[in-house]
Formats: sequence, C-alpha cells, structure tokens
Amino acid sequence: MENASVPSVDNIRFDGSARTRWRLGFDRVIGWLLPLLFLVAILPILSLVYYVSARALPTLSWTVLTSTSPYRTDALGVPIIGTFEVMLLATLLAVLFGLFGGIATAEFLSDRVAGWVRMSANLLVGTPSIIIGYFGYFTFVLYFGWGLSYIAGVFTLSFFMTPYVFRTADLAFTSVPRHIREAALGSGAKPSQYILKVGTPIAFPQILTGVFLAMAIGVGETAPIVLTTQPGVLVPQTVYSPVTFLTQLIWENFAQSQSSGLQVLAFQAAFLIMVVVIALNIVVRLISSRYRKRLEGLYA
Amino acid sequence: MSGEASSPSANGPVLAVRGLTVTAAKRKILDGVTLDFPPRSLTAVVGPSGCGKTTFVRTLNRMVELTPGLRVEGHVDYVGQNIYGPGVNPVLVRRRIGMVFQRPTVFPMSIFENAAFGLRLIHEPEEVVDRAVTEALVRAGLWDEVKQDLDRSALSLSGGQQQRLCIARALAVNPRVLLLDEPTSALDPAATQRVESTMERLKQDIVLVLVTHNVSQAARVSDRVAFLHSGRLIEVGPTADVLERPKDPLTEQFITGRFA
Repeated sequence: MENASVPSVDNIRFDGSARTRWRLGFDRVIGWLLPLLFLVAILPILSLVYYVSARALPTLSWTVLTSTSPYRTDALGVPIIGTFEVMLLATLLAVLFGLFGGIATAEFLSDRVAGWVRMSANLLVGTPSIIIGYFGYFTFVLYFGWGLSYIAGVFTLSFFMTPYVFRTADLAFTSVPRHIREAALGSGAKPSQYILKVGTPIAFPQILTGVFLAMAIGVGETAPIVLTTQPGVLVPQTVYSPVTFLTQLIWENFAQSQSSGLQVLAFQAAFLIMVVVIALNIVVRLISSRYRKRLEGLYA
Repeated sequence: MSGEASSPSANGPVLAVRGLTVTAAKRKILDGVTLDFPPRSLTAVVGPSGCGKTTFVRTLNRMVELTPGLRVEGHVDYVGQNIYGPGVNPVLVRRRIGMVFQRPTVFPMSIFENAAFGLRLIHEPEEVVDRAVTEALVRAGLWDEVKQDLDRSALSLSGGQQQRLCIARALAVNPRVLLLDEPTSALDPAATQRVESTMERLKQDIVLVLVTHNVSQAARVSDRVAFLHSGRLIEVGPTADVLERPKDPLTEQFITGRFA
C-alpha cells in the first residue's frame, strides 16, 4: 500500500491542520444553529397555542362546556356531544373498512393488485378534504337522499379517515418479520389463524396508532362536515337530524357573524379541538413506546 | 396420536423424495433430487451457499410455496403419500411436518402458548395440550429452565432458549419428521451445543433433516450426509463415509474447504 498522498503514521499531527480546525469550528456553529432553527420551527405552533388559549380561557367555564340548552349562544354542549357522536361512528366505520382493507391488501391480494390499492389509498390521503366533502354531498346527501344530516356527515368523514387507518393496517401487517410469518404458516396455520393469533398481536400497536392519528385528523376536519350536515341547536335525535361539529361552529361563527361573543365561542371550540388533538398525539406516543418495549426481541 | 397410520412397509423410508426439481424463472434451483429418509435418522444436508439446500428442506413440507414464482416438479412421499398429490392441502402437511428456522421465531405470547401453538391450530382439548406441551418441552431440553414460568413472555428467553422453544413447538404435534434449517447459525457456541444435544436425543425416535453450512456440525450430530451442489445431489451416505472418503471430487473440495 505504498501511496504518496497518504502521510506516514509518524507525520500525523494530532492537533489537526488549520483546515481540520476550521471544519470542527464550523461543526460547532451548526451544532448551535440547529436547536435555534428548531425553535423557529415550533414558534408558530407555540404562538398559535398562546393566541387561542388567551382568547378562549378567560370565559371558559364548566357551564360553557356542558350546557345543552338550545337557547344559549354561549355554550358548547351541543357541538361537543355532536362531535363526539360523529367521531364515534365515523371512527368505527373507518376502522371497519380500513382494517379489513389493510389486512386484505397485506395478506391476500397479489402484489400487482395490492400496488393499485395502495396507490388509490395514497391518492385519497392526498385529496383535498373539500373534494371529499363534495363527494359526500353528491353521494350521501343527494344520491342516497339522506339530506344534510348526521348520517351523511358520519359517512363522509369516515370516508376521509379510512385511508389513514388502511395505510397503517397494511403497513403493520406487511412489516411483521417475514420469518415470524413463515414460522406461523410453516406450523400449519391457515392464513386466518396466522392473522388472528400471530399477526394481530404484533401489528396491533401500529394499527392503534393509525386509528388515533386518523381521529386526530378527522376531529379537525371541516369541509366534509360543512358540506354534508347542517348545524342544529339540539343534539341529534335521529340519524337524519342536524348535528353541530366543533369545527363547523368555528366556521359558522367566523363566517357569518361579527359578534365578538360568537367569536369567543369559536375560540373556545378551537381550544377544545387543540386539546383533543394534542391528547390523541400523546396517547399515540404512550401506546407505541409501551408496546415497543413489549415486542422487544421480536425484531432481533 | 400414536395410532397414526403405520406405513405400508414399517421400515421403509418416512420421507421419500423422487425426481424433485424446483424452477424459478428458467433457473433450476433443484435439479432432479432423489433421496430417502429412513426412520430414526439425522440427515445433514450440506453444500455451498446457493446450492439449494434451504429450498430443498422447504419443499419437504410445502413451505416452498410461500415464495411466489417457484415451480415444483417430482414428488415427496410421506409414509407412502405424495404430499404434492392432487387434493393434498399444504396447510395439513405443514401441521404434521414442522420446521425450525435459522433465527428463533417465537411468537409474542407466553412460553406455554408458543409451545401449544400447533395444538391450538387443530383445536386439541386442554388436557391434551397440557400434556403435549410438557412432553415437548422435555424433549426439546427446555423444561427444567422454564417449568417455573410458563406464563412468561417467550420474548424474554435467550436466543438459545428461544430456538429450543421453537423445536418444542414443532414437536408438540408429535411429528415423525422435523426439518431444521441452519438452526444454530444465529446462536453462540454454548447454545449451539445444547441444540445439538437436543437433536442427538431426538434422532433416536424421529426423522431429522438438518440443513447446515457447517461441516463439523454435520460430523458431530448426523448419521448421514447429503451433499448438494448447484441444485444437484452429488453424494449421499453415512456421515463417516462421505466426510472421510468422499467419492466425488466436488464433495472433497467442499469438505476440505476449497470453496465456501
């Protein structure tokens, strides 16, 4: 290995050349700069949290959160219950379709067909929610004749949430280690037995993460709801009833009123959504770290 | 379970491989392999990387079909019944011919449930499961280490223990054949030694097919050695004969380490 450009070991200086020292200095500057840039990046979020909290908190009371009286314009009880009911059913539908679709794609479809299905799901995720809203309007409200109703909102929102659940379910099952899958099938498990007994316990935390993320995204959506439901002053009585969603209240209160009281209510609704989204994200964190510990060793 | 159909000829081979050819997109991975596995024997399948030995062992319980794009010709008779015959359900074949892999493949459940996995698939009653799991753990040489905490997660076991648990899982359905695909390649020497002594005990009553790249392991535990090269069976015979007096120059080159 005689090579003139490589200095012999005897000539190496451990205090470094000027060039090396400059590089190390630059390295340190970048090391300081990165946290700073991180701060710049999260500044908008912090200011948003502050802005919303400052307007929502002073007048936020237990009555505001719980009163469902149709005669009050300063209470959130009806939209909170409405949001809860819409989210509950929409999540159930999204889990039903997303989970079965994801498992079918990961385990049963040929690579070719699965590729097409995955591409469609990705397209759906990338579709602006207003378009999903129009789809819901034309399909559920008009074509199915459900009118602007609770049920039309539920179906449209679940349509919006399904691809998120689908993608994580698909990914969770395809990322089960191949040798584990083969061992189960190699012991004579039918595909359904493999999915229930081995695949699901391994994929579960990831799927749960996907469901919670879909909920966090769904609860903040406006367009699919605004276009398929109409706000009401009562909690929904039947599936065709009007229903108020929190984001819808924000939209209506800002778009249709100049009254500062209604705008404060909108900020309070925004504050609630913010808290729910942050809480869902924390739950996701907790779940995945807890289960990662439990499945440790599986991927070794 | 002991009253299982005895073969037409009780001393005939448990597994008989006839003209087995596996093709992947024009390339032959296995080329006309014909080989018998007599009862109570341990046959080591050796050969250089890429010689088809893993594919070979995966054809013996139709695991090979989990890899898309491979075509299998020829037949494999399990006690006189061709497992590639028409109407044969590969799932039922795999329930009777278990396999242990290079890396431990424990499932994220308790030690007991891991060993009971195969029995649960065929819905055996609880008392049968209890007895069979204990027996399988004893046969796999793991019982003394885990009998206190059968309910603990199997993932908490060491790699060597996990591998013996996988052997127990395959043994629990009381198979006549156990396939082992380089079962010690991910284990340290001490764990390897324990798995090897388990194999030596097991070959007293069932057929073991051991794929290994390790000639000295074959020398330590096997009765017979089958040497594969480029998908063809070059030589098969008693271990001492093949390793000490190989007939084929390819075999000799392999065991003297002239190609890896």
